[in-house]
Amino acid sequence: MIKGAWWKYLGAALVLYSLIAGMLVPLGPGIDGVSPSALQAGKRHTITVSGYNTHYGEGEMGAWLRLSAKYNLAAESIVVVDNRKVQLTFDIPAKVPSPDTVTAVSLIIDHMEDGLSVLPQAIFLTKCSPSSEDAPWRLEIESGGAEYFHFPYRGRLAETIRNTYYHVPLWFALMIVLAVSMVQAVKYLRTRDPLADQKSFGYASAGIVLGLLGIATGAVWAKHAWGAYWSFDIKQNMTAIALLIYFAYFILRSSLSDRDLAAKFSAVYNIFAFALLVPLLYIIPRMVDSLHPGAGGNPAFGGEDLDNTMRMVFYPAVIGWILMGLWIGQLHGRIRSVTDRISLLSSK
Amino acid sequence: MIALLGIAAVNDADFFSSIGKIYVVVAVIAIIFVGIVLYLRRLDVKATKLEEQLNNGKT
Repeated sequence: MIKGAWWKYLGAALVLYSLIAGMLVPLGPGIDGVSPSALQAGKRHTITVSGYNTHYGEGEMGAWLRLSAKYNLAAESIVVVDNRKVQLTFDIPAKVPSPDTVTAVSLIIDHMEDGLSVLPQAIFLTKCSPSSEDAPWRLEIESGGAEYFHFPYRGRLAETIRNTYYHVPLWFALMIVLAVSMVQAVKYLRTRDPLADQKSFGYASAGIVLGLLGIATGAVWAKHAWGAYWSFDIKQNMTAIALLIYFAYFILRSSLSDRDLAAKFSAVYNIFAFALLVPLLYIIPRMVDSLHPGAGGNPAFGGEDLDNTMRMVFYPAVIGWILMGLWIGQLHGRIRSVTDRISLLSSK
Repeated sequence: MIALLGIAAVNDADFFSSIGKIYVVVAVIAIIFVGIVLYLRRLDVKATKLEEQLNNGKT
């Protein structure tokens, strides 16, 4: 039994919960792809739709091309191939109520069991004649689908949406752990208590571990969601810079042989490093375009990125990883402290 | 193990994008696990050094 460790067990339990719930809850049904994806207006077309976790063969369904919330075109015929494949035939009128000759439309499928699934910008209509005549398009959709407990299907993310529970909380934990490290650095400068310096070092180490794991997991996720391990996305670059700044903290520490001097310098450096961390991770990436969610405004994360089922796993995962990070940092700080005390004893 | 990874690398496109890219999630969890194990190993090395120093002090 570890003394005073209820929060450590809580952290481990929450991370375990996020692993189990995050992997076991199924992904909701969604539209995987459509072919062909460019259709000429004024003609009759049959498209093949492939679904993911869908049950097209079991129950009634409707399908529409959506220009906007008010303008939808219903499918002429629906031929189910199997649970994951359906053929839709649309009679696309030459006149499309849109100002452009090429118009992107979304595909909407409403299934009795699966509920509503949408593939945004699924199809490009070419050679449209812009028109205010909107007779076949004027249609509003009412959904009658059932609601099940599952994570949302978001296009090419597919199952990797689960990484929200494993990659993102690492960064939340990093922020908290490095903030604690900074607070301990301030405390050291005020009190000159070596214990505060050792703690500050321990939490900074934990922050580096979380940061490296965050970068590595992010790169693997990016490879399969964005197409490359490193796409020089603003947030990727800024986090790499932030980690390099913290690497320099450890180099500075170990390059000074005088213990008090090393503690003093690294405490001051730690405060500056944290002051840079906040804009690098949370301010600059919001000001420009980014592949990460939350680019170009507020909030950085939330809104459409999470739904209520995801929140039930995501928030416990964040708390769990923060506690795990604090545990790692505390442990490293304690080992540091014992090391210092032993070498102090042996030098006397 | 290395041979296994090699096979996975050759079929990368098929393997990681199969079953709704679920193996990307598995890879992410595996990275976190390996990272934490490596970190534990580091702490273990540090603790071992401390024990050695203490034992040397006694004799």
